[in-house]
Amino acid sequence: MMGSFDRASGFPGRLKPGPYLGSLGLVAAAVLIAQAAQNQFSNATIAMLLLLAVLLSASVFGALPGMLGAGVAGLAYNFFFLAPTGTFAIRHGEDVLAFAVFFAVALITGWLVGRVRQTARQTLERSQAITKLLSASRDLGAAATVEDAASTTALHLSAATDGPTIVLLPGDGGLTLAAGPADLTSLSPSAAAAAERAWTKGELVTGEDWQFSPLEGLGGRVGVVGQRSGARLNLEPIGQALIQQGALAIERATLSMAASENLALRRARDLQVALLNSVSHDFRTPLATVLGSSTTLLKYDASLKPSVRRDLLESIAEEAKRLNRYVGDLLDMGRVEGRALTPKREATDARVVCEAALSRLDTRGRQIVRRYADRLSLVQVDPILVEQAVLNVLENALAHSPDGAPLSIAVEEDANGVLIAVDDQGCGIPPGDLGRVFEPFHRVEGTGRNSSGLGLSIARGFIEAVGGRIAAVSPLTAVGGSRFLMSFPKQRSTPAEFL
Amino acid sequence: MSLRRRILVVDDEPQIHRFLTAALDAAGYDPIRADTGAAALREIAARAPDAVILDLGLPDLDGREVLTKARAFYAGPVIVLSARHQESEKIDVLDLGADDYLEKPFGVGEFLARLRVALRRGGNAELPDGLVIAGELEIDLPLRTVRRGGVIVRLSPKEFELLARLVAGRGKVITQPQLLTAVWGPAHKNDTQYLRVFVGQLRRKLEAVPAQPRHLVTEPGVGYRFIAEP
Repeated sequence: MMGSFDRASGFPGRLKPGPYLGSLGLVAAAVLIAQAAQNQFSNATIAMLLLLAVLLSASVFGALPGMLGAGVAGLAYNFFFLAPTGTFAIRHGEDVLAFAVFFAVALITGWLVGRVRQTARQTLERSQAITKLLSASRDLGAAATVEDAASTTALHLSAATDGPTIVLLPGDGGLTLAAGPADLTSLSPSAAAAAERAWTKGELVTGEDWQFSPLEGLGGRVGVVGQRSGARLNLEPIGQALIQQGALAIERATLSMAASENLALRRARDLQVALLNSVSHDFRTPLATVLGSSTTLLKYDASLKPSVRRDLLESIAEEAKRLNRYVGDLLDMGRVEGRALTPKREATDARVVCEAALSRLDTRGRQIVRRYADRLSLVQVDPILVEQAVLNVLENALAHSPDGAPLSIAVEEDANGVLIAVDDQGCGIPPGDLGRVFEPFHRVEGTGRNSSGLGLSIARGFIEAVGGRIAAVSPLTAVGGSRFLMSFPKQRSTPAEFL
Repeated sequence: MSLRRRILVVDDEPQIHRFLTAALDAAGYDPIRADTGAAALREIAARAPDAVILDLGLPDLDGREVLTKARAFYAGPVIVLSARHQESEKIDVLDLGADDYLEKPFGVGEFLARLRVALRRGGNAELPDGLVIAGELEIDLPLRTVRRGGVIVRLSPKEFELLARLVAGRGKVITQPQLLTAVWGPAHKNDTQYLRVFVGQLRRKLEAVPAQPRHLVTEPGVGYRFIAEP
């Protein structure tokens, strides 16, 4: 009920009888009480009682009902309590003054209190509007994609208008519905035409059941917002502000998506250049060796010493293997970069994966020190991807440490994850390169001429695809050495007492 | 020839040495090796090879640098090995006096053919005196006459000048700037359209099938070479 009273004083142009009747009721109640106690009360006390009624009705019902109450109270005061009672005449000159003062005080009280109440109400409304705008702008600011921004705009506008709101954005085939109530999937042809008109003309267009306002960003129109016809809010400041903020948010999201797309494109192009350089650089020598050795064999088959022939054949086999490794690396890198990995998730023992990787490693006579935990939690990963990643890390460790120096591989766990650590006794990674060793085609200066420069990038791509992490630590000691640490999260943490 | 000719191979990839050493040895040469530019300069100075095979992209020195330093005391033929992405360095070393180049990967037959041509020339780029016979062509450089199948072919002075420069290379690729500078002067060093026009005219007069030249061969983006016996 209060709602309708509120609205009456908020919009004085529309008369609703409720507040006025309420005000009259309060005054009437005061008159009745005064009548009943007339003998105990002096006229001044009765005037106070009536003034209290006027004050109450003005503060509860607003200025105009309060002033009506004031007038009625004045007349009732005169009629019932000023001699001669029962008439509107006044006998004593003193009472004339008392009546005039009462009447003036009642009117002023009614008016002032009503004004205070209205001001308070407006202040409240304004602060509510500001709160809504703030929460809208906070949500809009957090919207990362155009779709997010559109649905946030629709959500806040419909909350502010108590009615459904839709947002239409330009697509390939004209305006398409980007956000709105879940049950609304398409617009009627007439509504769609109205939206199209609002989009092309940039003005408010009212259709049969929807009215459409353009969403104007700083750099141009970004879309159209639709509300039920008859909704008034887009005419009011908060509605306008919400529409404006929504437009800016959608525009910002569009621009930032374009920017990140650009970034991705540039990255893809950089990678392509690096890839072509790699093909030119890394394929040249193996191919030259294969072609040169085989043509030597073909041309001088008879005159070559058996040992030389064998050496050439071995060199062809080695270089073919090397080429095969490069091609495999490039394909793996393509899968990582193209997001084409579809890792399986199965309960995996990291020790088994490490052994599988070690069995494929050409250790070139190097000693491998294993330090495996006796009991180990299983992790949900793709064992094939993790095995390849561990193998790449091991090959990297072999390539970057001196002949004869042992490698070590350790598997253990903490509360949240299973860890694989590969340590080498190489010269360590220069501090400037530490953050870049996982970048594709990055080679630390003066090392790894026989690698594709992709092994660690692939390892990182595979490990991240199964939800793990990889990091490099170097130097491990004063003389150097590097550790590559791979961690794989457990689904449930292990309580410390079980570790 | 009783003495085997000594060939220095400069490359930082051991696999390349493995087959080049075998091939050179089998073909009757005496191969020696160097893995760096500095070692190459030492070997050239100390052992005076009959020819040098120089890989571009050595870890220590730029190919241009090696060649410039070597040319200060070495006049023998130098064949450059290059990769597809090293065009500019390749042209630079040819301009600096390399005799020929081979792009990796290459077959041993092609390699040895180029080496033979370079050794025959002996690093000497002076005009050969006397008669050069190439198929049905007879080119008399001192008399400035050219016969094709015994019939005199009329050449303009510039055409003859150009042909003479190419023939003087005896199979060696001559870069476009070298030809332009020699025939038209340094001011026309970059006017490559002259070359296209004049080489086209020469081919129409001298080649059996001008569109498929056998003697006046284009090395795209680099220059031209005259091949006596294709």
